[in-house]
Amino acid sequence: MTIATGPSPKPSTRPPGAESKFHHDAAIKAADDAHRTTVRRNIDTYNVAVDTGKARFSDWEAARRRCQQIKWEAVNHLDRYLVEFEENIKRRGGHVFWAASSEEARNYVLELAAARGVKTVVKSKSMVTEEVHLNPALEARGIQVWETDLGEYIVQLRDEPPYHILTPAMHLSHAQILQLFREKIPGDIEGESHEELVAAARRALRRAFFSAEMGISGANFLVADAGMVAISTNEGNGRLCTSVPPIHVVFAGIEKIIPRLQDLATLWPVLTTAGTGQFLTTYGTLIGGPRTAEEIDGPREFHLILLDNGRSRLLADIEQREVLHCIRCGACLNACPVYRNIGGHAYGTTYMGPIGSVLTPHLRGLDEYQHLSFASSLCGACSEVCPVRIDLAHHLLHNRRNAVDRTPRPWRERLAMRLWRWAMLDGRRFRMAGTLGRMALLTLYGAGAQQTKMDPLHAWTEAREAPPLAPVSFHDRWRRSHGKH
Amino acid sequence: MVPQVAFDMVAVLRRIGWQLDYPEEQTCCGQPAFNTGYWDEARPVAERFVRIFRQAEAVICPSGSCTAMVRNFYPELLAKSALRDDALALGKRVFEFSEFLVDYARVTDVGACFPHRVTYHDSCHLLRELHIQEQPRTLLRHVGGLELIELPYADECCGFGGSFAVKLPEISAAMGMVKARNIESTGADYVTSCDPSCLMHISGVLRRRRSQAKAIHLASILAVQQAVPGRNPVAEEVAQ
Amino acid sequence: MASTNVGSREQILERVRSALQQSAPRPESNPAAPIFPPVADPLSRFQEECAANYTECILASGAAGTAAALQQVLASLPDGEVFLQDVPVLRKLMEVAPSARPLRWSNEGGPGESSQATVSLCEALVAMSGSVLVSSRNCGGRGISVVAPCHVVLAGIDQLLPDLDAALDRIRQIAPHSSFVGLITGTSRTSDIEKKLVIGAHGPQRVVVILQN
Repeated sequence: MTIATGPSPKPSTRPPGAESKFHHDAAIKAADDAHRTTVRRNIDTYNVAVDTGKARFSDWEAARRRCQQIKWEAVNHLDRYLVEFEENIKRRGGHVFWAASSEEARNYVLELAAARGVKTVVKSKSMVTEEVHLNPALEARGIQVWETDLGEYIVQLRDEPPYHILTPAMHLSHAQILQLFREKIPGDIEGESHEELVAAARRALRRAFFSAEMGISGANFLVADAGMVAISTNEGNGRLCTSVPPIHVVFAGIEKIIPRLQDLATLWPVLTTAGTGQFLTTYGTLIGGPRTAEEIDGPREFHLILLDNGRSRLLADIEQREVLHCIRCGACLNACPVYRNIGGHAYGTTYMGPIGSVLTPHLRGLDEYQHLSFASSLCGACSEVCPVRIDLAHHLLHNRRNAVDRTPRPWRERLAMRLWRWAMLDGRRFRMAGTLGRMALLTLYGAGAQQTKMDPLHAWTEAREAPPLAPVSFHDRWRRSHGKH
Repeated sequence: MVPQVAFDMVAVLRRIGWQLDYPEEQTCCGQPAFNTGYWDEARPVAERFVRIFRQAEAVICPSGSCTAMVRNFYPELLAKSALRDDALALGKRVFEFSEFLVDYARVTDVGACFPHRVTYHDSCHLLRELHIQEQPRTLLRHVGGLELIELPYADECCGFGGSFAVKLPEISAAMGMVKARNIESTGADYVTSCDPSCLMHISGVLRRRRSQAKAIHLASILAVQQAVPGRNPVAEEVAQ
Repeated sequence: MASTNVGSREQILERVRSALQQSAPRPESNPAAPIFPPVADPLSRFQEECAANYTECILASGAAGTAAALQQVLASLPDGEVFLQDVPVLRKLMEVAPSARPLRWSNEGGPGESSQATVSLCEALVAMSGSVLVSSRNCGGRGISVVAPCHVVLAGIDQLLPDLDAALDRIRQIAPHSSFVGLITGTSRTSDIEKKLVIGAHGPQRVVVILQN
């Protein structure tokens, strides 16, 4: 008998931090019934809205395919479209800065803010600014940062990261938000209704819009042929951030490019339907740069930061390049049964849920973040709902395979897999292994070992009864019933 | 792994006129290694599977996840294998049990009788990889005396997920609990499904909760021809 | 800080070009398949969609009807300044039906923080979504459509486009000359608290379209 050997496992260089923290935080949240109830209720509301939204389409599947095509075209010709986009922005008087890393992106804004004497910044929602940890860097320089998207404003007041890529405060109840506003917003909150809370946020943020020297936004799409940034919002805060302050800064990943303005006819309603169930958000905004000479208002300066930060490396991975098609709608988070039980913070990363689990190993390292790709039951709901048809579940498998091929896995696991393979390659060995396993468990359980330290299935039996053990295998029963002994 | 289920499947097929052969050397489709990223270990096991079954006119499997492994994942796993074409061809001839009955054998009434309240759980690979959703429900609706109750969130994962169940047991158990609560809310006596792995997990959770509902494989329901007072089909497996 | 600082442009483009030496397989699609049912009657569809997204749509007969409708809307507002796009048609309307309240015009600059309402023209209307298309170049700037609690839009029935394809076609024509183009669908809103819809957030709580035929 030969057990084939692969490369000898290297001692793990992985810091214990990220994986064990994830495991710890996920376990706590999984036991939190109140949290689960809130999240499930919000997702149920979302699901009803999305079903209504999809009914507007005569062919939702065709819409998904068209979006997939558009993103394929953009991503597979990214250099061409990036250059076209940059030229058009420059022609309009805007400035494009290419940031290879988070640090480069932050430094550009810090230098700009210093040069312009910026004391206050108003921000419209941008996950890329979370990714590069922009806010702490600005605050360290004494600049006040106001998150103006209501969900972002709420988590900013709580000093926590966003919980979801689209609805940052999805984990909080009305009562919690009321309490928070009473504690943190100066002045009286008149009443308790949802309307009054929103009005309180409006009052608190109004002055900031009109006094800030810089407005920072993200972008849903970068339109190459028009040289414009497309931003979809509902509240009006994004419009104010990009209209009132004299400087407008946009953060966008390089993969946000789309070839043509006309592509928005499909992308806008698909993004919005998958994101919130609406047909369109209230504001579908297109901005091409600073105000022109003829215009009466608007920013005088426009800076766009194109962020790489690992995206070009993912681009080179042909098998998983389509992960860059993601339009950040959040549908996969809502569909994911793991997310529904552990929520957004347990992941410990900027991007959570299925897209986060697939993407983060590429952006931040397979060695340190592979555990997210293993933290899935592979149910496939994410692939099913993705509006641009990224096969996320399959890419989780690819990440797992890459983790096994390229990084140190626990030596016990490698050994167990080799033994498994040895047993599976021969019928007699397979049956012998089954018999030994059954006998061992029957003996141990007969002696009362279930749920104790001696229980080899302890991880299972902590929460579930062990499966009843068949004393005779199918193979042996078959032989008996077919007269062979 | 679950002998009674296989025997029940054989009994049902025999009843409707199909003879089954059981190649004794078979072991596994390779999914456990494949799903944990050990594709180099999974590959020879998959190749062995192909060699054993490639002569068969049809291969019937009482598991959605194993069927999906062969049909949907072998093409990628064996893309560079000498057995690639055999694997692709075999994928078209491998059937999950309910799919075989309804789509291939064209039988929806197998003469079963199971006078109980039953709810059905859509297992993930069966639903999303193989797109099998109506066939099990059709079969259940033709079972004598059976009251089929639609399960809330029937298509939500039960939380088994292979090694996920023991590597991340807290999340797995939470997902199982959500499934169990939904099952209990139907008031059903039984929950059924087409995947032994889902049922093992759901059963473990239900029994720990001392739920009224018991888990039973679809094949075991279809195998029951006549209700015998006092005899519980699930108890059969342990009593063997 | 030089405006010539392009950062790691060459390095990033080099990485991208190198990565793209091989193309990923193109997904299948049927580009011709329509994805929305066609809009049969644009005017009634526009009115239905407005009702659904909380845009008030008032049909007016001729310039006189528009003037009357505008006067009525302004009268319904709390006291305070109204900011208007400085165009001949609006100047004329305000002469015909003057208001006692203070007016400010866009020739003096953008709308203030405390305008009660703004009044502008629009580039087009979109029936399929009940949307208003505006641009900074032709509709009085950027702030006019978002700053005040009430935004009044004057439109003609000939400005009605059926769907998004037509709207984006129009945007393509406007875009080269305007730094901002906006497709506005209803009032500002949020569902960030428990997914419950609240109408009126930072943008207008009222959007009124006076549609003249």
